[in-house]
Amino acid sequence: MSFLEVKGLGVGYRRPDGRLGPAVIDAAFSLAEGESLGLVGESGSGKSTLARALLGYCRPGGVITSGEILLEGEDIRKLDGAGIRRLRGGRVAFVPQNPLSSLTPHLRVGSQVAEAVRIHRRCGAEEARQATLELFAAVNLPDPAALYDRFPHELSGGQRQRVVISAALAGEPRLVVLDEPTTALDKTTEIQVLELVRSLRDRFKATLVYVSHDLNVVAEMCDRVLVMLQGRVVEQGATTRVYRAPAHDYTRRLIAAVPRIDRAAQAVAPAAGGEPILAVADLAYRYATRRRWPWSRGADDGRPALAGVSFAVAAGETLGLVGESGSGKSTAAAVIAGLIAPDGGNLRFAGKPLPTLASARDPATRRRIQIIFQDPLSSLNPRHRIEAILARPLALFHGLAGAAARKRAGELLGQLQLDPAFLDCYPRQLSGGQQQRVAIARAFAADPDLIICDEITSALDVSVQAQVLELLKSLQRRSGAACLFISHDLGVIAQVAARVVVLRDGTVRETGATAEVFRRPADPYTRTLVDAATRGYASLPDLPGTSAAANGTEP
Amino acid sequence: MRIDPFALRKPAALLGLALVAIHLVLALFSPWIAPFDPTELVGGRVDPPGGEFLLGTDALGRDYLSRLLHGGRMALFVTFTGVVAAVTAGSLAGIAAAWFGGTLDDVLMRLCDVKLALPGILFVSLFITGFGESFGVLVTLIGLVYFPGVIRIVRAQALTQVNLGYVKAAQLRGESAFSIIAREILPNTLDVVYVEFAIRMSHAVLLLSTMSYLGLGLSPPTPDWGLMVSEGVGQLAFAPWLVLFPAVFISTLVIGLNFGAEALAGALGLDASRGHVGGT
Repeated sequence: MSFLEVKGLGVGYRRPDGRLGPAVIDAAFSLAEGESLGLVGESGSGKSTLARALLGYCRPGGVITSGEILLEGEDIRKLDGAGIRRLRGGRVAFVPQNPLSSLTPHLRVGSQVAEAVRIHRRCGAEEARQATLELFAAVNLPDPAALYDRFPHELSGGQRQRVVISAALAGEPRLVVLDEPTTALDKTTEIQVLELVRSLRDRFKATLVYVSHDLNVVAEMCDRVLVMLQGRVVEQGATTRVYRAPAHDYTRRLIAAVPRIDRAAQAVAPAAGGEPILAVADLAYRYATRRRWPWSRGADDGRPALAGVSFAVAAGETLGLVGESGSGKSTAAAVIAGLIAPDGGNLRFAGKPLPTLASARDPATRRRIQIIFQDPLSSLNPRHRIEAILARPLALFHGLAGAAARKRAGELLGQLQLDPAFLDCYPRQLSGGQQQRVAIARAFAADPDLIICDEITSALDVSVQAQVLELLKSLQRRSGAACLFISHDLGVIAQVAARVVVLRDGTVRETGATAEVFRRPADPYTRTLVDAATRGYASLPDLPGTSAAANGTEP
Repeated sequence: MRIDPFALRKPAALLGLALVAIHLVLALFSPWIAPFDPTELVGGRVDPPGGEFLLGTDALGRDYLSRLLHGGRMALFVTFTGVVAAVTAGSLAGIAAAWFGGTLDDVLMRLCDVKLALPGILFVSLFITGFGESFGVLVTLIGLVYFPGVIRIVRAQALTQVNLGYVKAAQLRGESAFSIIAREILPNTLDVVYVEFAIRMSHAVLLLSTMSYLGLGLSPPTPDWGLMVSEGVGQLAFAPWLVLFPAVFISTLVIGLNFGAEALAGALGLDASRGHVGGT
């Protein structure tokens, strides 16, 4: 008998019209004790819904419609309320994606974990405190006694996720379900949390179900993998087998779409020689805190967002700007775009000094510098049709109106492989990838010389990301525009950028050709980033036409 | 605008919309529906309901039904004009405060604080004492009373947008402040503005009645519900309908507007966001 066996599981969500829309269809798998299973798929594939169903839980509006979930032979669907309560947090524990929203903000973290201990171990307050401190130590939290009395907002993201994991361990679970536990974390923090999860698997002999959209992480963490597509399980098996010899077409596409830093970048080559289109020198920016009194000066919060950042973008080239959150990369984008004025340093564009704020630049310069934002939905006005969104820059910069503007807008959509019929849609009617392609079309509508891409694919699924990047590259090649491509993902940078700048804490740590920097990082911080990005590759297959990896994928 | 038809099918929503519709029809067509001139002395003093005068007559012998119908016309006209003024000006000022920030924002917000700190009735009586009771003064007064609340709500709604991509994109295109406010931000606050309008309408109807009752509103012989209640109170013991009928008219209109506002908020799904259709 397997430890966990799922048969014919179906979960549906109630739609506004009262009918059930299926989210998980006929899912079946089994898992031996101590094994770890990775659930992968894109957003909306039903992987989180399936994971939650393992605790007998559905999100509001959801219903488990069919099937059995056998945990050590016992069907958890047949448990009554009290049985389910004992099960959740007891034999089966759950670690959610966002550690901040899963901790109560006004309670000290220690007491929150101690509460779970008291409920599941039925012990007194002092005993629970001791057990909590032990749990904190087990998840490698520094100075458990001091941390016990802190509030969630006083902890870093990685520490919060450790606290949540320690709470999950409070009931000494046999099965731990982790739903994208590192997605909200930085790459270097992610490594630490993954290290912890791995040690849980080895030390506590817990069986893991690990939900992730990140194939690298799953390759690293899981013995077995289950691929979901539109609510159905399309493939499952041992991780190495699935990754090396994917049987299903979708799995193959998914694996091919993973951006990898060891794959040769077909980045857009820079125009030979000449003056750079953009040169920034010694950029400095400090976020001012709110003034206490009208006459007082803004207090200093200590750390500048940018401290002496210099780099240059050659005409037609793509420069990657990589760093973790808080490294100052988005601030740099906002300064160059002209949204905020830097505190120091200077900007030159096409050989001429560039005024800091967009309002001070002349219309021609405004046209030549365009920006694409991270969140595709909020970068398109929800009240305007796509036609109006694209027509505005066409009217402003090229004087096109009426039928001519509509024709040009349709062409732009065509270049991004979008149906011109979308012109009459509102942004909300489009998927995330389609929205982002419209945002790209809007930027190219101005016919720019420099495009700033601020994390433009981080809100997208991996296969959509691959498509968007390809389209961006082809459009860029056609138009000859240079691109400042900002991302936290080294794999993405490797795909688009010929040169890269590594930022940390507002300073440049390393600059160079992307392939060179990623293969032989000179800076220890860059090395950490590269290591973090390449960990899962060992299990991924070497695809034909790609260079052998520097980090060695054995045959 | 996305209207969710399911939210309009609730009983309270239907009741609210029906009450508002009935009041609107009665008010709009009162000159043709009303059997008599509201100011003409046509019957005996305080004739009971029934017979020639369906709802009886008042202390001077005027037809009560005709006065009630014309009173609704007056009440709705004054409140509608005042509230439209408050909501229009408040929306534009609220978005401007959010967009420009700085001193303009500070000054507008502190002015709102001052107005909100004054007790409503004190403000109303000072205003009426100072400027008299003409139609224009009443409309201005209602506009001023509801202006600060509208500013605050619309400003909050606009503030959530000033850092969104589409506003930044417009800014970087070099759009004028007016264009950003009118084209980019205003359309996304309209849901809130409509609901705000409906809620303020119900408050305003009640406020106007209260003012007339206290003698701060329209003066006799203008037919007005609040005034009719106040005139009827003296005869409450032997002619209770003189108070009852205008009270029923006031409360059905206020209840209708309240339910209607709630239904509108639900139908516009002010907090619920919809998923998208189609794939990539």
